[in-house]
Amino acid sequence: MAALALLPAAGEAIYFRDKISWRSAIPPSEMITVEQARGWGDTAIWVDARPDEEFASDHVPGAISLNEDRWNELLPQFLAIWAPGKKIVVYCSSLSCNASREVARRLRKEAQLSDVFILEGGWEAWLKENR
Amino acid sequence: MKTTLLAFTLSMIMCLGVRAELKWEQTMIELHPAPNDKQAIGHFKYENTGKTPVHFKSVHASCGCTTAQSQKDEVPPGDKGEITATFNIGDRTGTQIKTVTVETDEAPNQKTVLTLKAEIPQQLEITPNFVFWKQGDKADTKTINVKAGKEFNVKHIKVTSSTADFQTKVEEAGSGQFKINVKPQDTNKITASMLTIQADDSQKVFYATARITNAPAVPVAPVGPTAPARPSAPTGQTH
Repeated sequence: MAALALLPAAGEAIYFRDKISWRSAIPPSEMITVEQARGWGDTAIWVDARPDEEFASDHVPGAISLNEDRWNELLPQFLAIWAPGKKIVVYCSSLSCNASREVARRLRKEAQLSDVFILEGGWEAWLKENR
Repeated sequence: MKTTLLAFTLSMIMCLGVRAELKWEQTMIELHPAPNDKQAIGHFKYENTGKTPVHFKSVHASCGCTTAQSQKDEVPPGDKGEITATFNIGDRTGTQIKTVTVETDEAPNQKTVLTLKAEIPQQLEITPNFVFWKQGDKADTKTINVKAGKEFNVKHIKVTSSTADFQTKVEEAGSGQFKINVKPQDTNKITASMLTIQADDSQKVFYATARITNAPAVPVAPVGPTAPARPSAPTGQTH
């Protein structure tokens, strides 16, 4: 009976084989909460990875827009305000969004910056804590 | 025992019967857009193989860079159609995986995830695309590595600096690889320069930034550790 009980799970696994998540988990060391990031004060640069229209609608005060739609244009603007010792807090729309991890990855890999963090819960979490 | 087995078998058959109504030709499409393409479009075709109409309840793309449209809200038995997923490439590079979640009324909470995988070719890979010196640092030469994508045959590159504050010199390292040596004129002056990088036979322009930065920011008292141990983020994605 125990083996029989595993059958539905096996069936689901086969049926949903094309529906796996493509995202690998974010290492805990790269995640930061709203409270912790706020505690960094002016040492933190807030980076909004959402599309332009969402940034234009509203964003974390002082945040700079850096999304992959216009990466080549926006990156130099970000680098112009970055300084050694600054911590970079990247956020996108919500807990399940992907844009912040991509922007963070590119900042680390392409610009070779360190201290790049992803805001847990994204813009939604910031709103919840601040409004 | 026999009754339990029969009930289990029947429930499995019934479940599979419901799921089989909207049959997808494929739930994953791999695309290879050309270097200058702005969009990658996937057509996810389906057919209602059941005996009752199927209604789309929602079609939701995983990120703002992707839109998804269904041709119709209701799919009668035997009817065919498609969900069109359009991925706006923007300045993205490499392997991009975007998903579209489709919810129908076939069964409660049943969702189908359609996956669009696009391989965006990158003519030049530039690492790092940012070099900097702190104010007053020794004016050492720093190197930017440039590597041509495997689909591209790049023999020479041209580099220009937007200001005279930085000198650049290109070294050809062979096999489509180059080194751009960047040297500031004076690290006492806070300045920045945009380096424009172009393959000799291409209109596509790439950028890197060279900068003399001011002194490091003064650290504030940390709130807890640099980054706390936290559980992994759940799967699923929006933008």
